[in-house]
Amino acid sequence: MNPAIEVRSLAKHFGHVRAVDDLSFDVAEGRVTGFLGPNGSGKTTTLRMLLGLVAPSSGSATFGGVPYRDLDRPLCHVGAVLEATSFHPTRRAADHLRSVAIAARLPASRVRAVLELVGLSDVARRRVGTFSLGMRQRLELATAVLGDPRVLILDEPANGLDPQGIQWLRTFIRYQASLGRAILVSSHLLSEMEETVDDVVIVSEGRLVLQTTLADLASTAGGAPGMRVRTPELARLSAVLAGYGVAARQVGVDEVVVDGATPEWLGPVLAQAQIVVYELTRQQNRLEEVFLGLTHVPPSVHGATSPSPSPSPSPSPGLTS
Amino acid sequence: MTALVRAEWLKLRTTAAPWVLAGLAAVVTALLVVVIFRTQGGTVAPSSGNGPPTFVGSGVPQTAQQLRNLAASCYECDLFALLIGVVCVTADFRHKTVTAAFLASPRRWRLIGAKLLTAALVGAALAVALLAGTLLGGGLALDAEGGSFAALARQVPAVAPGVVLVFALFAVLGVGVGSLLTNQVAAIIVSLGWFLVLEGILIALVHGAARWVPSGAAEAAADVTRGQGHLYGLFTWWQGALLLLLYGAVFAAAGSAVVARRDVT
Ligand SMILES: Nc1ncnc2c1ncn2[C@@H]1O[C@H](COP(=O)(O)OP(=O)(O)O)[C@@H](O)[C@H]1O
Ligand SMILES: [Mg+2]
Repeated sequence: MNPAIEVRSLAKHFGHVRAVDDLSFDVAEGRVTGFLGPNGSGKTTTLRMLLGLVAPSSGSATFGGVPYRDLDRPLCHVGAVLEATSFHPTRRAADHLRSVAIAARLPASRVRAVLELVGLSDVARRRVGTFSLGMRQRLELATAVLGDPRVLILDEPANGLDPQGIQWLRTFIRYQASLGRAILVSSHLLSEMEETVDDVVIVSEGRLVLQTTLADLASTAGGAPGMRVRTPELARLSAVLAGYGVAARQVGVDEVVVDGATPEWLGPVLAQAQIVVYELTRQQNRLEEVFLGLTHVPPSVHGATSPSPSPSPSPSPGLTS
Repeated sequence: MTALVRAEWLKLRTTAAPWVLAGLAAVVTALLVVVIFRTQGGTVAPSSGNGPPTFVGSGVPQTAQQLRNLAASCYECDLFALLIGVVCVTADFRHKTVTAAFLASPRRWRLIGAKLLTAALVGAALAVALLAGTLLGGGLALDAEGGSFAALARQVPAVAPGVVLVFALFAVLGVGVGSLLTNQVAAIIVSLGWFLVLEGILIALVHGAARWVPSGAAEAAADVTRGQGHLYGLFTWWQGALLLLLYGAVFAAAGSAVVARRDVT
């Protein structure tokens, strides 16, 4: 099956800033693809290039082989949500939708249908300026699906939503995918998208880091368990572990992670060395940590919430399982 | 294109700014009607002998020229048509609705084309509304004060085409200005600064500039004096209309070129 979106060697420079650099990836039909990367990694710029809003410095982005601006009736092919604030504040919600529907030569019945779909029928006559962030986001989504498009592009749609809003959004996205639509949804938090996406495209500093399925990413994440130890004797612990050829990775003031270790192995080691332990827990490498690791966040940032001068010998790279 | 024009018209009429501008134009027109009514009454008889000229007749506009001036008093409000054109473009950039507009019409020159057409139609409609209001209000006042409603009505066909044309072209010029200066506040300040201050200074300083500036071209095109424009240093009506069209075309082309290239981030 042809991919719904093909991005090939896409690049964009803003002066000296390489916002997007030689980026290539595919988005498959009928699947939700998470477009993930930290803030400033070029997600928004990429999505805007896809939609012909920003001119690429080089490379191409096509929908079934056709660039956005050459699509016949583009809103019937691609729907997009880009920002939560792109409404005229004194225009009524229904009028906003009608203006888009008229421009796209869509029947007025579509306006009623999408208002119904996102649950805004009752407030359709209200001015958008009086809407909450969540309502605006739903109006954006309504606008995006006006033309009943085969592809949906959503840029950080969860930003600023409350937990109910995020739950609603997940249901909405899964429902859209169940209709066979290809959905590309960006986020700087994998955890936000974990339950929603099928595939992931991970970018960092404008470059592709990894394109894979969420299932594969999860199995990578699950493959590296370890033990988390809180102890006042970090230095001695490191020395003892070094004796076994195992490294401890410091993650807090008095906390280390021993990658690859099991409780059955580490417990006796600690008892034998008579090291005081405040806390001993299983460390499951969570998806978010894999994601952070992939997007080049240096290890020291893991402990950034409680930084301290390292009292122990600097931790060497962790043991791999 | 029709669809885009209808969408732009919906967008214009579902926000306050164009209505406020049209309302202001109506108020200013009403004031101008009163001023012309009060200052252009009667006729001037040539002075007999060494005496000064004397006013004769009743104190209301009655010569053909006076009645034309009265009928066309709204013509000074062409600036409001220009501002409606400015708002038609800059509101989209100010509120980022331009993203939605470009998504629906990724070939941007088509969107600008639709805005030019919409603004021209709205400018023309504003002129028609103001002319009609002037005829009604001024005509009733004339009737009440001993003048003739019918005489005023007879002069309307003489001035209406020119005024409608000028309003339409000014709105087009406004779309061009708004596309070049997408910052709404900047575009409005520059427009007002030019038409209310700088143009006057230029005319005062540079001999013969009056006919070349947009207002001079508009005054010629409106042809309220019926061919007497050259007495005021103006072009003939068709030269004025052509010049104004040229201004509109140059600004619109430059504006579309700028908007077409711009990254919308
Ligand atoms: N219009 C612009 N002018 C200059 N730099 C920009 C512009 N837009 C984005 N950037 C820069 O490009 C990089 C990527 O930004 P962006 O695409 O918004 O990332 P993300 O959406 O992943 O947070 C950032 O360094 C940002 O500062
Ligand atoms: Mg972004």
